[in-house]
Amino acid sequence: MATNRWLATGNFFTTYKEEQRIFLTNIDRLCLWLLIAALYAWPFFVETSNKGMLVLDNILIAMVAILGLNLVTGFAGLISIGHAAFVGVGAYTTALIASGLGTDHVFLTHAWPLVIIISGLVGAVFGGIVGLPALRLKHLYLAIATLSFQMIFQWVINFSKLFNQGQTMSVGRVFWLTGKIGRKDHYLFWYFAVLTIVVISGFLVRNLLRTRYGRCLVAVRDNDRAADAMGMHPGFTKVYAFALAGFFAGIAGSLHCYLYRGAGIESFTLHQSISYLAMAIVGGLGTLSGSFFGPAAIRLLDLGVENLSSWATNFLPSTMNIATALRPLTFGLVIVLFLMFEPRGIANWWRIIKSYFKLWPFKY
Amino acid sequence: MTYFIQLLISGLVVGSIYALSALGFVLIYKSSRVLNIAHGQIIASGAFIAYALTVYAGVPLIISFFLSMVITFFLSMAVERVFLRRLIGEPIISVIMVTIGLMSIIDGIIYLTPFGSTNMSFPKFFPPEPLNILGATVSWTQVVGVVLTAIIIAALSWFFKNSTLGISMRAVSDDQLASMSIGISVPKVFGLAWALAGLTAAAAGGIIGNITGLNFDTLHAFGIIVFPVVILGGLDSIGGAVVAGVIMGLIQQFAAGYLDGNWGLQGTAEVLPYIILLILLLFKPHGLFGTHEIERV
Repeated sequence: MATNRWLATGNFFTTYKEEQRIFLTNIDRLCLWLLIAALYAWPFFVETSNKGMLVLDNILIAMVAILGLNLVTGFAGLISIGHAAFVGVGAYTTALIASGLGTDHVFLTHAWPLVIIISGLVGAVFGGIVGLPALRLKHLYLAIATLSFQMIFQWVINFSKLFNQGQTMSVGRVFWLTGKIGRKDHYLFWYFAVLTIVVISGFLVRNLLRTRYGRCLVAVRDNDRAADAMGMHPGFTKVYAFALAGFFAGIAGSLHCYLYRGAGIESFTLHQSISYLAMAIVGGLGTLSGSFFGPAAIRLLDLGVENLSSWATNFLPSTMNIATALRPLTFGLVIVLFLMFEPRGIANWWRIIKSYFKLWPFKY
Repeated sequence: MTYFIQLLISGLVVGSIYALSALGFVLIYKSSRVLNIAHGQIIASGAFIAYALTVYAGVPLIISFFLSMVITFFLSMAVERVFLRRLIGEPIISVIMVTIGLMSIIDGIIYLTPFGSTNMSFPKFFPPEPLNILGATVSWTQVVGVVLTAIIIAALSWFFKNSTLGISMRAVSDDQLASMSIGISVPKVFGLAWALAGLTAAAAGGIIGNITGLNFDTLHAFGIIVFPVVILGGLDSIGGAVVAGVIMGLIQQFAAGYLDGNWGLQGTAEVLPYIILLILLLFKPHGLFGTHEIERV
C-alpha cells in the first residue's frame, strides 16, 4: 500500500485488516498518546487541591463503570437499571475482605491490585447470574431483572449484620513503592491509579469490540434472529455481556471503596443506577468515546447543581431540601432531552468536531 | 387462627391495591408495548393531588378523590403527548429509557413540593371504630378501598368489553397495522391508554394515601412492586394483573407475619417479591396468564 499513513482524506481500505485498525492515521495515534501523557503529567506542573482531585477521581471511576454499562446497554442493547448494584457488589467485596482480614491487613494494603481484580470477578459472577434470563428473554424482561437485582441488593445490605446494615465499612490506606499513602497524597495517588485502569480498560474494550465476540454483540443488538441464523448464540452473547459489565462495575466499586476508604449503601442506590444510565445516554450509547464524555458531563453537571442549590438555600426556606429535588430533576431532564434531540449523545458532537477539522477548509 | 385471618384480610387489602396499581401499568404495556417505569411516580402524584385538594382547597374527600383521578387522567395524557408521542417508531429501548427519565423528573418535582420530605395523612372521613370479621379487625378505610378497587376494575372490564373505544383499544393491542387500516387512530389509543393508566394510578394513590398515610417513599415502593405483580400475572393480561396483585399482597403479608423475626430475618416483605420475580423470569417468564410471544423472521 502506497497510502500515506500520516494523512488520509478518506477511507481507501483494500483489506479487512486495514478496516479493523484502531487508528486511521498515525496522527490519530500520536494525538491519543500525547493526550494520555498529558493526563499523567499535568499534576506535576499544576498545584492540585484535594477537592479538585476528588472530583476527577470520581469522574474516572464512573468512566470504568460506564465502560461496562455501555457494553451491556450500548453494544448489546439491554437496559440495565441495576448498574449501581453491580458497582456495589464490587465495593462490598473489597469491604468484606477488609472486615474479614482486618482493615489494615497486608493483603488489602499491599496487594490492592489483586483485590480490585477479585472484586471485578465477583461482580462478573453476579452479572452473569442476573443476566441468565437473557437466555430466553429480550430487553424488556432484562430491565426488570436488573431492577429486581437492585432491590434485592439494597435489602441484603440494609438488613444483614455482615454488611453493617448499610453503614460505612472501612478499608485501610494502601501502600505503594514509596511507602504508605498518607492523607495528603491519597487523592493524587488514586488519580494515577484510576487513570491507569481507565486507560487499560479503554484499550481492552476497544480491542474486545474488534474481536469475533465484539462483532457478535453488535450483531445480536441489531437483529438477534439474524445473528442466530448466522450461527451465533444470542443468549450466551447477552449473558457474557452482563458478566463483562459486572466485571467493570466491580472494579469501579472496588476503586470507589478504596478512594472513600469505605463502602456505604448510599452510593449504590436506585438513584445512582439512574445517574449511571444518564451518563451512558449523554455520552452516547454504543460508542467508546461516549463512555468517557458521559461521566465527565454528568459529574460536572452534578457539581453545578450542588453549587446552585447551596446558593439557592440563601433565600429559600430551610425546610426545603433543594439539592435532593434538583438532582433527579436535572438527571431526568438530561436523559429525556438527549434521547429526544440527540440520541447519539456527546460522542456525536465530538465526531462532528473531528470531521470538521479533518476536512477543513472544505465544508463536508 | 385470628392472626391468620388478620394476615389474610390485610393481604387481600394490600393485594387489591397492587391489582389496581398494576392495572394501569398493564394498560400501557398492552396497547403500546412501553414499559412505564414512572408508574409509581404517577401513583404518588395522584395521591398528592387528592391530598392538596382536600386539605389546601377544602374540597370534600370523596369529591377530591374523583377530581384527582380526572386531573391525573389529563396529566398522563399530556405526558404521553409531550414525551412519548414523538418517540413512536423509535427503538423500544429508548422509549423505556425515556420513562426512566420521566421517573426522575417527577421525583424531582415532588421533592420540590412539601410532599417530598414530610409525612402527611388524610383527614379522618370514616368512623374510627374498626369492623370485626371472625375476630380480625378491619378499618372502614380498608373496606371502602377494596370496594372502590373492585368497582373500578369492574367498570374497566365493562369498558373493554362493551364500549367502542375499549374494543378499539383491544384491537390496537392485538394488531396495530390492522386496526389502523380499519380507521382506528393508533396514537389516540396510546394517549387514551396512558390517560386510563393515570386514572387508575390516581385511584390507587388515593386509596393508599387514605389507608397508610402519605409518604413519598411508600408510594414510590408501590410503583416498583408493580413489576413482580405484572410479571407474575403475565405482562399483557389485565385479569392476570388483578389475580397476581392479590397473590402478591397475600405473599407479602404472610411473609411479614410468619418469617420476620424468625431465623434473624427482617423486612422479608420488601424483598420476597423480587426474589420471586427473578425466579419467574428464569422459569416461567410469561407468568400465569401472559401470551407467549412467537417470533417469526
